[in-house]
Amino acid sequence: MKRFTLGLSAGVLALAALMTSPARAADPVTLGVSIPTADHGFTGGIVWWANEAKKDLEKAHPGLKIIVKTAANAPEQANQLQDLVTVNKINALVIFPYESASLTQPVAQVKKKGVYVTVVDRGLTDTSAQDAYVAGDNTAFGKLPAEYIAKKLNGKGNIVALRGIPTTLDNERFDAFSGVLKAHPDIKILDAKYANWNRDDAFKVTQDYLTRFKNIDAIWAADDDMAVGVLKAIDQAKRTDIKIVFGGAGSKGMVKTILDDSNKLIQADVSYSPKFIYDAVKLTAEARLKGEALPATTIIPSVLITKENAKQFYFPNSPF
Amino acid sequence: MSVSVRFDDIYKDFGPVRVLHGVSFELPPGRIYGVLGENGAGKSTLMKILSGYEHASAGEIRLDDRLVSFKSSRQAEGEGVVLIHQEFNLAEHLSVAQNIFLGHEQRKGWLLDDRAMRQQAARYLKQVGLVINPDTPVRNLIVAEKQLVEIARALSRHARVLIMDEPTATLTPTETRRLFELMRQLKADGVTLVYISHKLDEIEAITDEIVVMRDGRFITRAPTDSLTRQQMANLMVGRELSDMFPEKTPPASAAPVALAVSGLSVPGWSADISFTVRAGEILGFAGLVGAGRTETFEGLLGLRKRSAGTVSMSGQPVTLNTPQQAVKLGVTYLSEDRKGKGLHVSMGLAQNLTMLMLEHYAHPLLDLQAERAAMAHAKDEFGIRTGNLAARARSLSGGNQQKLALAKFLHPDPRVIILDEPTRGVDVGAKRDIYFQIHALAQQGRAVIVISSELIELIGLCHRVAVMRAGQLQTTLGMDQLTEEELIAHATGTH
Amino acid sequence: MQPALTDTPRRSARWLARIQAVGPLIGLIILCLAGTALNRDFATVDNMMNVLTRTAFIGIIAVGMTFVIISGGIDLSVGSMAALIAGSMIVLMNKLAGSGMAPMLIVLLGMVLALILGALFGLMHGLLITKGRIEPFIVTLGTLGIFRAVLTWLADGGALTLDDSLNNLYGPVYYASLLGVPVPIWVFLIMAAGGALILNRTAFGRHVQAIGSNEQVARYAAIRVDVVKIVTYIFLGLCVGVATVLYVPRLGSATPTTGLLWELEAIAAVVVGGTALKGGEGRVIGTVIGAILLSVINNILNLTSIISVYLNAAVQGAVIIVVAFLQRGRRND
Repeated sequence: MKRFTLGLSAGVLALAALMTSPARAADPVTLGVSIPTADHGFTGGIVWWANEAKKDLEKAHPGLKIIVKTAANAPEQANQLQDLVTVNKINALVIFPYESASLTQPVAQVKKKGVYVTVVDRGLTDTSAQDAYVAGDNTAFGKLPAEYIAKKLNGKGNIVALRGIPTTLDNERFDAFSGVLKAHPDIKILDAKYANWNRDDAFKVTQDYLTRFKNIDAIWAADDDMAVGVLKAIDQAKRTDIKIVFGGAGSKGMVKTILDDSNKLIQADVSYSPKFIYDAVKLTAEARLKGEALPATTIIPSVLITKENAKQFYFPNSPF
Repeated sequence: MSVSVRFDDIYKDFGPVRVLHGVSFELPPGRIYGVLGENGAGKSTLMKILSGYEHASAGEIRLDDRLVSFKSSRQAEGEGVVLIHQEFNLAEHLSVAQNIFLGHEQRKGWLLDDRAMRQQAARYLKQVGLVINPDTPVRNLIVAEKQLVEIARALSRHARVLIMDEPTATLTPTETRRLFELMRQLKADGVTLVYISHKLDEIEAITDEIVVMRDGRFITRAPTDSLTRQQMANLMVGRELSDMFPEKTPPASAAPVALAVSGLSVPGWSADISFTVRAGEILGFAGLVGAGRTETFEGLLGLRKRSAGTVSMSGQPVTLNTPQQAVKLGVTYLSEDRKGKGLHVSMGLAQNLTMLMLEHYAHPLLDLQAERAAMAHAKDEFGIRTGNLAARARSLSGGNQQKLALAKFLHPDPRVIILDEPTRGVDVGAKRDIYFQIHALAQQGRAVIVISSELIELIGLCHRVAVMRAGQLQTTLGMDQLTEEELIAHATGTH
Repeated sequence: MQPALTDTPRRSARWLARIQAVGPLIGLIILCLAGTALNRDFATVDNMMNVLTRTAFIGIIAVGMTFVIISGGIDLSVGSMAALIAGSMIVLMNKLAGSGMAPMLIVLLGMVLALILGALFGLMHGLLITKGRIEPFIVTLGTLGIFRAVLTWLADGGALTLDDSLNNLYGPVYYASLLGVPVPIWVFLIMAAGGALILNRTAFGRHVQAIGSNEQVARYAAIRVDVVKIVTYIFLGLCVGVATVLYVPRLGSATPTTGLLWELEAIAAVVVGGTALKGGEGRVIGTVIGAILLSVINNILNLTSIISVYLNAAVQGAVIIVVAFLQRGRRND
C-alpha cells in the first residue's frame, strides 16, 4: 500500500507523475458517479463534493460528461449501476458503495462491460471487480487522536470513547485507537459505547458517562457530529475535569472552532474529508481523458488538524 | 348414530357471579328440544359449555354415558356437537364457501381443494334454501343470509348434536319454515337438536319437548303438546304474565305531525318513500328482510347516501343530512345491529348511555358524577338488570343490552324515535318491558317509529303500520286493518 | 354437593387485573431497583433529572400518539416531522437574525412556527386519512419519507445550526430549571396531565375512545368521526411541535439524523404503557410510564458495562416484551 503523507494536492501531483499506462485516443469520457444519498453530515458532504467535482471538471474539460446519482440503499444503488451503463452509456464509474459485499457483483458486471471502475472508501470484497481504489485512512483516523490525547495527557489519564454504528469501518478506527493506547498503561479507556454517529445519542451517552465517571480527562467522540452532542452534555453538567474532546472527520464547524480557538476542549481534529470523492472523480476523469489508468490503491491520508494547518481544511461552502 | 346428552350438576362462575347453579337433566337421542328461559337464565351458557366454547366450573357432561370435557369448540365439533351462535361467527372478508369450511378446509395434497369445497358449499346452501354464489364475500350478505350460512356451516360439520341459539331472530317466515323442514329432516336422520328461542309459537311448532331454565337452574321439562304458549311463558318468567301489550291509546286527532318525509330515495334500496307520523303516535314499518326499511331510515338520518327527499318537522322544513343534525332536531335511531352499530360493548354502561349528548355533561370537563347518576336513573327507569354499574356493556345479557341501547338513544330526549327491531333476541319478560316503555314514549307525546319483522309486535303495538316491499312503500294500514294476513299479503305482494 | 363459590378465583382475578393495570409501573420500579443495584449513581437526583429530561421529547410525542392510537390510527412520521420542524425553525430564526429584529421576538416566532407547522402537518394527515380514505399507515409512511427528505434538502445533507447569539438566548428552554426541575420535565408533566384530562374528562376524549372501540357505533351515535380523527392528528402534530421547541435548544441544530426512529420509540411507549395498538382503550399515564421505562433501560445500559455493547438492543427488546407481557389484556376481552 502506498501512502502519501503530504497534503492532498501534493498527492494529486504525485499521482499524475505515476500515471504510466499508454495513452489511447482522447475519447470523450462519460463518467458516472454513484454515491449514497445525503442522510447524515458526512454523506451530505459526499453529495456536495461530488457535485462540485461535476461543476469544476465539466467546465475544465469539454469532452467530459459527469452524471451523479444517489441511492438510499444497496439494492437501489445496484439498479442505478445498470441504468448508468445501459441508459447513460458511461465508460467510467466512480462508486462509493453502500456495502462492500452486496455491491461487489453489480460492480463486477459493470467492469465486464468495459467501464473503468474506481471504488471509493469501502473496498469491494473481490478487488478484481475494480480498476482502482481510493479511500480515506481509517487507521490514522483512530491512531492520530490516540497519539494526540496520549501526548496531551502526558501518558496518564481516564478516557471515555464513543463509537459509531457497528461496522468494520468503526472497528478499524476503534482498534487503531485502542492499539496506540496499549503502549500507555496509565491511560485507561473507561468505556466505549455506540452513539450511532448521531448528535442526540452522543448527548445521551455522554450524560450517562458523566453521571457514572466522576473523573474523565478526555473524550474521544470519534466523529464531529457526535462531538457536538458531547460538548453540550459537558456544558450542561458544568464539568471541568475534561480537558480534551476529540471529534473526527474535519467538519466545517469543528475546523472553524479550531481556527477561531473558540472552545478550549477542541484543539485538534483528524481529517477524513468527504472531499476524497472530489479527488477520486478528478483523478479518474483526468486519467481517462488521457486514456491512462490509476494506481490500484490510493489512500487519501488522514491528517491531524490543529490551529496551525486548519485553514487548509476549511471549506465554508461545503455543508460538512 | 343418535346420541344422548346428560348434564350432571353443572356449575359455572364468571368471576364472582355464579350463572349456573348445579344444572342436571338428560336429553335422549333423536328428538328436538326447546330450551326456554328468560335472558340470563343460563341457557346460552349451558349450551356453550356443551359445545366447548366455555368450561364448566364444576359438573360433568356425558354423551351416550361417556364422560366428555371439551377443551375447544373444535374438539366438540370433532365429536359431532355443533353450536350455531346467536351472534355470528363469520369471517367477514372471506367468501361463503371459505366460511363454511373455515377450520376444516379440505385439502388435495398440500393445497386447498377449493373446487370441492365450493361444490359442497353449494349443496349445503341449497339445503338451507339460500340461493347465493358460494364465492360471495360474507360482508356482502344481509343479516338473515349470514344466519343461513351459519346453519350451512353446521351442516358441513355432520352434527350429531345440533344446538341452535335463536336461529330465526333474523329470518323471514318463509325462511323459518324452510329451516323447520330441514330440522325435521335432520331429526329423521337421528340428529339430536336443541332449539333455543324466545318465539313461543316456533317452540310450539317444531319441538318435541321443552326444558325450562330460570336463574341458572333447571326448572322443569314437559312434552311440548302438553302446554299452551301462555303456560310456557309463565314457566319461563316464574309468574303469571298478563298481557304482553299495553292498551292502545290512539293519539289525539288534533295531534300535530311531528315528522313528515316526502319522496325519500336511497339508491339501491328504496325509492320515493313518503310518510308522516304524529306526536304520540306509534308508526310501524313492516316488510320482508331486504325490503329496504332499515336502509330507508339510515338514509333519512344521513347514515347512508340518499338521492332525494325532503323532511319537515312540526310543519317546518328542516335540513337533515347528518346524524348530528338529527340529534339536534330531536330525531334518534336505534339500529337493529346492537353490537355492530348500537352499543360500544367494550365501554362502560354510563359511557354508552351518555354518548349522544356528551356536550350536556361537559362544562368543559365531563361531570362523571352526573353520568353515573344518569346511569343509575336509567337502570331503574328501563329496568336494566346488572349488579355492577361500573361494568362494561358486554357483561350484560342480550335483553339488558337492548334496554341500555334504548336508554342511550332516548337519552337526548328525542321528539321522534326510530326503533329498528327493538326486541330482537330479547326474552319475553324484557320484551314486555320494552313494549310498555314504547307505549309510554308515545304517551309522553313523542312520535315513535317501530321497524319490526315480528308481526305480532307491530299489530300489538302500532297505531298504523306502513308496509314496504322491494324498496317501495306499498300501503299504510290503520289500526282496524292490522292482521297478520293483511300484513303478509302486502309485504309479499300477494294482495 | 354444591361447590362453594370460593374467594380464590375472584381474588386471583382481581389481583391479575390489578397487575395488568400497573404492569408498566411494576416494570419501571423493578428496573429502577436493578439500576440502583448496578450503579449507585443511578438513584441520584441528577441522573433522574437527566433521564426525565431526555424522555420529555418522546414522552410528549407519545402523549399525542396515545390519542391517535386509541382512535384506531397510527402516525409513523413523527420523527421526521420533528426533524423538519426543527430545521424549519432554525432556517427561519437564522434568516430573521440578520434583519435586526429583537432576538427574543425571533425565538418566540420560531416557537410559534413549530406549533403552526405541527398543526398543519397533523391537519394534512387527518385530511388524507379521513377525506382521502387512505390507510393512516400508508399516509404517514409517505410523509415520513417526505419530511426527512425536505429537511435533508434544506440542510444540503449537512447540519442546520442555530445562530450562536440566538442559541444562547434560547438555550434555557432546554437547560434551565424551575424549582430544581428542568423546564422540559415541567412541559412534559403539563402535557401529560393535560392529555390525561382531555382523554378521560372531555367529550372529545370520550369520542376518541368510542371511535377506536367501534367506529360504526360511533357514527350511529352522531359522533363526527372524521372531525374527531382529524383533531387527533392535529393534536399529535402540536405535541411534535412542542417537543421540537424543547429539542432545538439542546443542540442548537438539526441534522438528517434528528428524530430518527422517534416514531418507533413513541409507539413503543404507548403500547408498553397499556394502550391497545388496535385502538379503543388506553391510558395517558401508562404512556408516560412507558416512555420513562424506555429511557431508563438505555440509561442503565450506559451506566454499566456488564453486557456487551453489541447486545444492548437485545436487552431493550427483552425488557419491552416482558413489560408488555405483564400488562397484556385478556385476549378474548
